[in-house]
Amino acid sequence: MNAAALLDGSAAAIADAVRARAVSATAMTEASLARIAATDPAINAFTDVLAARARVRAAAIDERLEAGEPLAAGERPAAGAAARAGWPLAGVPFAVKNLFDIAGLATRAGSKIERERAPAAADAPLVARLEQAGAVLVGALNMDEYAYGFTTENSHDGPTRNPHDLARVAGGSSGGSAAAVAAGQVPVSLGSDTNGSIRVPASLCGVFGLKPTYGRLPRTGSYPFVASLDHLGPFARSAHDLALVYDALQGIDRADPACADRAAAPAAGAIAEPIDGLRIGVLGGWFSEFADASARAAVDRVATALGADRRVDLPHVERARAAAFLITNAEGAALHLDDLRRRAADFEPLSRDRFLAGALLPAAWIVHAQRLRRWFALRIAEVLRDVDVLIAPATPCVAPTIGSEWIEFGAKRLPARPSLGLLTQPISFIGLPVCAVPVWGCHATMPIGVQLVAAPWREDLVLRVAHHLQRAGVARAPVAASVAP
Amino acid sequence: MDSQRIEAYVDAAAAVLDLPLAPEHRPGVLAYFALAAGLAESVLAMPLGSADDPAPVFTPIGPDEAQTPGVAQPR
Repeated sequence: MNAAALLDGSAAAIADAVRARAVSATAMTEASLARIAATDPAINAFTDVLAARARVRAAAIDERLEAGEPLAAGERPAAGAAARAGWPLAGVPFAVKNLFDIAGLATRAGSKIERERAPAAADAPLVARLEQAGAVLVGALNMDEYAYGFTTENSHDGPTRNPHDLARVAGGSSGGSAAAVAAGQVPVSLGSDTNGSIRVPASLCGVFGLKPTYGRLPRTGSYPFVASLDHLGPFARSAHDLALVYDALQGIDRADPACADRAAAPAAGAIAEPIDGLRIGVLGGWFSEFADASARAAVDRVATALGADRRVDLPHVERARAAAFLITNAEGAALHLDDLRRRAADFEPLSRDRFLAGALLPAAWIVHAQRLRRWFALRIAEVLRDVDVLIAPATPCVAPTIGSEWIEFGAKRLPARPSLGLLTQPISFIGLPVCAVPVWGCHATMPIGVQLVAAPWREDLVLRVAHHLQRAGVARAPVAASVAP
Repeated sequence: MDSQRIEAYVDAAAAVLDLPLAPEHRPGVLAYFALAAGLAESVLAMPLGSADDPAPVFTPIGPDEAQTPGVAQPR
């Protein structure tokens, strides 16, 4: 089979072909490396391409397949170690945001400062888990410095450009992760989401993104931003691929104190189950007020496809968002206090002054914000007794052009960089699982994402609904035409 | 919070923390502190009772758990 054509398809199809030995892991790796070489000078998604490591890994997979492994090719629904043993991602090239530890590389987290540190001694557990599932790491991806941004306009490594329009931002902070998938460089990638850093770039680049429940996936071996709010998760061009990767990522790791002591819960096996009977609501208020016509049209289209006619208003969303901002500002700054004291000039100019201000916030503000967080979680838990899935726009608008200081719609004029997270921040604040699905046709040229939100630990529901929307043709994630071969 | 109080607080807090603010960074720091102060007003205006605990819950670590590889390592 043609590896370059497979690269434009799904991770599931690649893995099927590799396991059936219709194509080799080596051929898939070479196809991915060639696509990166051809397209990344324009996109700038990658900060490190790990060609030698990937070739060694792919050759080892081909050798083991030649010898008859894996014995059980993952026929039964499974998650965690049981899923990984069946090589559900055999030969699938992937890449990770450069805040994940990769053995032998300094974990730069988008910064100038961290690249001076010693290289990581081992891969982050989530990287290791994807390789245990048969996937092949091909590189590390660009991001906003220390994950404090929504645009990936990184002054040290240059901006990542949106594959659907190179003049526009990719979103952030996991901008490289979304752009690499949208450009067909890799079918899946990993990123992190503290206030929207998976869902915002997924929306702007037109790919699927999953922010699992807070505490579902271990963050061990990743550079932290805000321990209270940090999540890790995958990007893909289909809901099924997202579920396959998510299942392979699951498993308890006690080295992360926030990682929940819960058994892995497979999602891929049941993704095609009917969604009849699910109670689906559309979030109003804040989530409509801070959405432009494109974002609202995307929500309407999803709501119509799902037969969702109930509107749900959450209490005090504005205060929840404000509290998330304060916790982020204070915790993020405290982590870097020593470097802020000694070498503030080495920080990203777009976030440095925000970090410096965050170091000075009074403790009473942060404690109150953390109390508000629990209050808000309790109130939303009550709402979720009556509804299974909530729908909201992922971003207020489509991707702005690189360098934009403002976004404007209706009578609103908002600072572009912080405002791209206005609609994601209140949800991650209380750790609910969210799948961002890409919708086309609501803007003349660009995609925009819609958030599907469920109760904690119900990633299966948001993935099922995302899959249904994809099968109905409402959500889709084509490889960007501008960079397709 | 008015701009004079913000300036006074920022300069005093930066001194206590031994956090030098370069002249070219200070206007941005004041602007972001003012933004945070505005958001804090909204947060602090939320009436909470004594039973409204903070979200994070500390989990004590026993001697056996402390021996788990990785537990003592920073993320």
